[in-house]
Amino acid sequence: MEPTLLKPAYLDYLRRHGRAPKTVFAFADAQGITEGEFYRHYASFAVIDREAWVDFGREARTQAAEEPAWQGYGAREKLLAFYYTLLEILKNNRSFVLLTLGRSQKRKPALIPKVLGNFEDEFKEFVQEILQEGRATGEVASRPFLQDGYGRIFLRQLQFILLYFVRDESANFERTDAAVEKAVTLSFDLVGRNTFDSALDFGRFLLQKRA
Amino acid sequence: MADQSQESLPTSKVARAARFAKTGFKVGANYVQHYAKKAVGADSPTADLHEANAAELYGTLSEMKGSVLKVAQMLAMEKNLLPPAYAAQFKQAQYQTPPLSGPLVVKAFRDAFGHSPSQIFDKFEPEARQAASIGQVHFARKMGKDLAVKVQYPGVGASIQSDIAMVKPVALRIMGLKEETLRPYIAEVEARLLEETDYKLELSRGQAVAAKCGHLPHLQFPTYYPALSGARILTMDWLPGQHMTEFLAGSPSQEVRNQLGQALWDFYQYQLRELRQLHADPHPGNFLFSLTAGGTVGVLDFGCVKNVPPLEQQQFLALLDPATLADPSRLETLLVEAGVLRPADPAALRAMYLRTLTQSLELVGRPFRQETFDFGDPAYLQSLYALGDDLMQDQDLRQQREPRGSAHFVYLNRTYVGLFSLLTELGAVVRTQYQG
Repeated sequence: MEPTLLKPAYLDYLRRHGRAPKTVFAFADAQGITEGEFYRHYASFAVIDREAWVDFGREARTQAAEEPAWQGYGAREKLLAFYYTLLEILKNNRSFVLLTLGRSQKRKPALIPKVLGNFEDEFKEFVQEILQEGRATGEVASRPFLQDGYGRIFLRQLQFILLYFVRDESANFERTDAAVEKAVTLSFDLVGRNTFDSALDFGRFLLQKRA
Repeated sequence: MADQSQESLPTSKVARAARFAKTGFKVGANYVQHYAKKAVGADSPTADLHEANAAELYGTLSEMKGSVLKVAQMLAMEKNLLPPAYAAQFKQAQYQTPPLSGPLVVKAFRDAFGHSPSQIFDKFEPEARQAASIGQVHFARKMGKDLAVKVQYPGVGASIQSDIAMVKPVALRIMGLKEETLRPYIAEVEARLLEETDYKLELSRGQAVAAKCGHLPHLQFPTYYPALSGARILTMDWLPGQHMTEFLAGSPSQEVRNQLGQALWDFYQYQLRELRQLHADPHPGNFLFSLTAGGTVGVLDFGCVKNVPPLEQQQFLALLDPATLADPSRLETLLVEAGVLRPADPAALRAMYLRTLTQSLELVGRPFRQETFDFGDPAYLQSLYALGDDLMQDQDLRQQREPRGSAHFVYLNRTYVGLFSLLTELGAVVRTQYQG
């Protein structure tokens, strides 16, 4: 059996039953393969969970870039388009999202589980690309050393949005859309040229004068 | 729907409109006004305080979108309810909200139709042309037609009630109003707001009004496109024309202005008398003026439509009847029927109400009693201002603390105040007798 079929079968089981199959053996058997064959593709169910998230992220990027307006977007709008497309995909897979994110919610509400690991790595790369573009157009301020930490800031933003989505109870998750809009505007206000840069520039000027 | 050009309204005109509205229709509509006057009519330290408060409150509210903003604006419309300092601040509010981002507009379309705007229209401008309080307007083109596409902010409908709950205590405290004063008004506003977020309702109303009023001369209504509209997206014709300020900047002739004023007047008379249904938001942003056929008015935005019950309609028309003013006992009977005067009122109080209302009615109902009326007449405006000031100063009136009259008069009042102020700005001479 191809891994391309194994993954949907597992996800389908997960969504229908609200939990992973009891054992790999039981699942493999139901699919008509041996347990050993399963391990040739995946080491555990958790690995499939992680991969599913990576797929969401990649799909969101591809779909967002297919939109005709994409070429005309600046960095801020590209990130927004990514988030909205991602949320659209997550909406269609909300049961899975709630299962994988929701489980850890009960214990530590603000903690993002390990299942997002690979997805987040690719997201960080995507953000770096966007910010690079933004710096070229002047939309993002160039701040040596400091800008290395931007990836983390945007990661927190992504986590915030995902958690907001998990808890959102408004129709069609419209509140999440509003949250995305505001969060992204804020983040780009922060990374764009602002008071901070002027203050830094001023400080530098004063230091030079002393020397 | 309002236009950015509003931003550049000369302050004197804003001030004029504000003062004008202060007078309001006192016809049975001393509904909430008393309290505002108590709030406004105080001495100057309080006024300074209001101004400071207004700036602060505005700072907070202007960062919000949707219904909080809308509540603020509606309160601003009812300027009698709001100290002028707030009213002026809130008027600006809708022009300062950040627009929806391009990707969110795309998402709204994908939600509604499964396609992005560029797939649906031949041309779609990603930048909004106009901001409205619960949405924004984009220019689009399809099959050679220019279209206006209104897109609503996400989550507006869902958040109205919680937003109102949030804004109410602030409003009460800062404006120094009492809870029971504001409650009926807030309820009315909330109902209207919920309707306004329903673009499907607006579409059907727009179509209905256009069908019923289409025969009136020099009026133009947009065609709505149901196939291109949804709960959060509304597509209609892009009407030609300019908003009031830009249009007047081109110094149109008196004939043109008269024709435009006449069209507006006839439109409202017809709605009140025949349809018993009013386009209750005669905000300058909701009309477009053009020189087509010697002056044509384009009517936009049917988000706020008020149905007038037959009883209230009859009372309202009877109050405006010239015979009523000439006959004090008839006026008194009418006011008792309308619930403005109560049988239990002490004689002195009743006399005070009668005196004030006769005075207001004489002035405000004047256009209805003449064949033609010149809304550009500065003397008329002057006396309206003077009346407003007199009422403000009236100690007896300011001591009255309870609302009187039907809640429906709130919207009738607002509609006619808006209409008068439009006509005044046009400086139009209008044949005011209803031809039926």
